[in-house]
Amino acid sequence: MLKVDNIRAGYSSVPVLKEVSIEVGAGEFVAVVGPNGAGKTTLFKTISGTVRPRNGRIEFDGIDLLAVKPSRRPHLGIAHVPEGRQVFPSLTVMENLEMGAYTEAGRRDWNANIERILGFFPVLSERRNQFAGTLSGGEQQMLAIGRGLASSPKLLMLDEPSMGLSPAIADFIFERLIEIRRQTKLTILLVEQRVAEALESADHGYVLEAGQVVLKGTNETLRADDRVRAAYLGM
Amino acid sequence: MFSVQVVENVLQSLSAGLLLGALYGLMCVGLALIFGVMRVINFAQGDFMMLGMYTAYYAFVALGVSALFGSFVGPYLAAFVAGPILFVAGYFIHQLLISRVSGTRTAQLEGEGHYAQLILTLGIALILENGGQIVFGSILHSVQTPLSSSAWKIGPIWGDMIEIFVNRARALAALLSVAIICVLAVVIAKTRLGKALRASADNPTAATYMGIDVDFAHRIAFALGVSITALAGGLLAPNYPFHPYVGLEYVIIMYAGVVLGGMGSILGAFWGGMTIGLVQQLSTLILPTQLQNTAIFVVFLLIIFFRPQGFFGRVVERT
Ligand SMILES: Nc1ncnc2c1ncn2[C@@H]1O[C@H](COP(=O)(O)OP(=O)(O)OP(=O)(O)O)[C@@H](O)[C@H]1O
Ligand SMILES: [Mg+2]
Repeated sequence: MLKVDNIRAGYSSVPVLKEVSIEVGAGEFVAVVGPNGAGKTTLFKTISGTVRPRNGRIEFDGIDLLAVKPSRRPHLGIAHVPEGRQVFPSLTVMENLEMGAYTEAGRRDWNANIERILGFFPVLSERRNQFAGTLSGGEQQMLAIGRGLASSPKLLMLDEPSMGLSPAIADFIFERLIEIRRQTKLTILLVEQRVAEALESADHGYVLEAGQVVLKGTNETLRADDRVRAAYLGM
Repeated sequence: MFSVQVVENVLQSLSAGLLLGALYGLMCVGLALIFGVMRVINFAQGDFMMLGMYTAYYAFVALGVSALFGSFVGPYLAAFVAGPILFVAGYFIHQLLISRVSGTRTAQLEGEGHYAQLILTLGIALILENGGQIVFGSILHSVQTPLSSSAWKIGPIWGDMIEIFVNRARALAALLSVAIICVLAVVIAKTRLGKALRASADNPTAATYMGIDVDFAHRIAFALGVSITALAGGLLAPNYPFHPYVGLEYVIIMYAGVVLGGMGSILGAFWGGMTIGLVQQLSTLILPTQLQNTAIFVVFLLIIFFRPQGFFGRVVERT
């Protein structure tokens, strides 16, 4: 479904990604882990188009993604739930979800989607007319995920959904993601600092360090790898 | 008798202030829409208003609006011709010039390219002013309507003692201005376009992740902002004679109104403009007319000193 091939990318003078290749098959749950500053967020931004790669290729559903304008990519079925949530603070919870449904598919499926999203996150229903800027961090994360789901995506990309949340809320978010996947069979690409949980629920994963994929493999291989155990799982 | 005279004067100034304030409010909303959505400071806004005045004038005298609709309805219809024409102008000016120094193109730049924006809009302002001088000449123009020299009498009230006169042209312009604001408020609050504009203002990057074309949203905001201010100019034209440099007088009022309204708050800007209209008219009760603008800036500074987020700004942070 998604094929990132030999991508090099960075910011004006700082190169970040050096020949990164990853692949996500339809229906898969793929995790990308790595230390701070490895380039995980940059990888996501390259896929959704706010960072332009120097070379390489990205293919989504057989389409050359780099030839598609960033603002058209969500309409192809890519939902990006960004790092730090980035909800629209002066829009209400409901309006944020409506913006999620800005895509053609999202508008078509609005009724079914909204029922499902509020089912996953009932607190959003209670807060529906509140400004998103006044929500707690956990609620904003739920809104950001709900907003992603509202677009009826084929691929849901989540950048550190547990960032800055208490362990209990982070656990809840994780449990919801597993439930979302069970119910919707969505393809998910997840970046996470909570490596143990991320690798546990993923089908396969990549370890990104200093802009390079240093390790890849299935859930079992990665969790059995000595380097991963030492560096990320604290064993 | 003296106190009745004072009450009458206050009421008279109050009504004049409300009518003028409604027009100032409309102008300010045009500027606030551009600033709120794009975060671009448009120095040329006053000159777009000047263009709105001349467009209304030529639509009235040359395009036959006056001949077809007469001098009562004509001037207002002409103002509504100026709106769409300046919308198209704003659309292309954004596409050709403004988009090169704003929006996603500059999102990655230091300071988001604000210097280039300032220089560009200042350049556009100078071109419009000097171009206006060449094309329109420097003599004062005005849109002639009998309405601007006739008034409704309210009263006598309070036991026959107080009478207030309301200029018909100004009253009509103020009513139209309030009607436009109401329509705009509904568009911004309820429609898909309005929500997309607000989302682009809140967080352009996240808006892109939603599938919103932020540069196009900016183009619409710019064109709409220009056309609203131009329309306000057209509505002002029957009462206030104009020349190619008239924009300079109004752009200052617009900026004060937008800041008072809380930078970027679109409806706040309307109340900001209203405040300025009221201060300007009420100040004539105690100050000589030449000091009207001084009064505006004293009030402006006081408000900024005590409430830097503006008078009507909402305290929700941008990310
Ligand atoms: N806008 C930017 N301009 C310049 N450099 C940037 C920018 N954003 C990120 N970087 C740099 O790029 C590198 C990779 O950043 P990135 O955000 O992709 O890392 P990450 O793997 O997501 O880290 P984290 O786990 O902390 O979120 C970092 O060294 C960072 O300083
Ligand atoms: Mg990151």
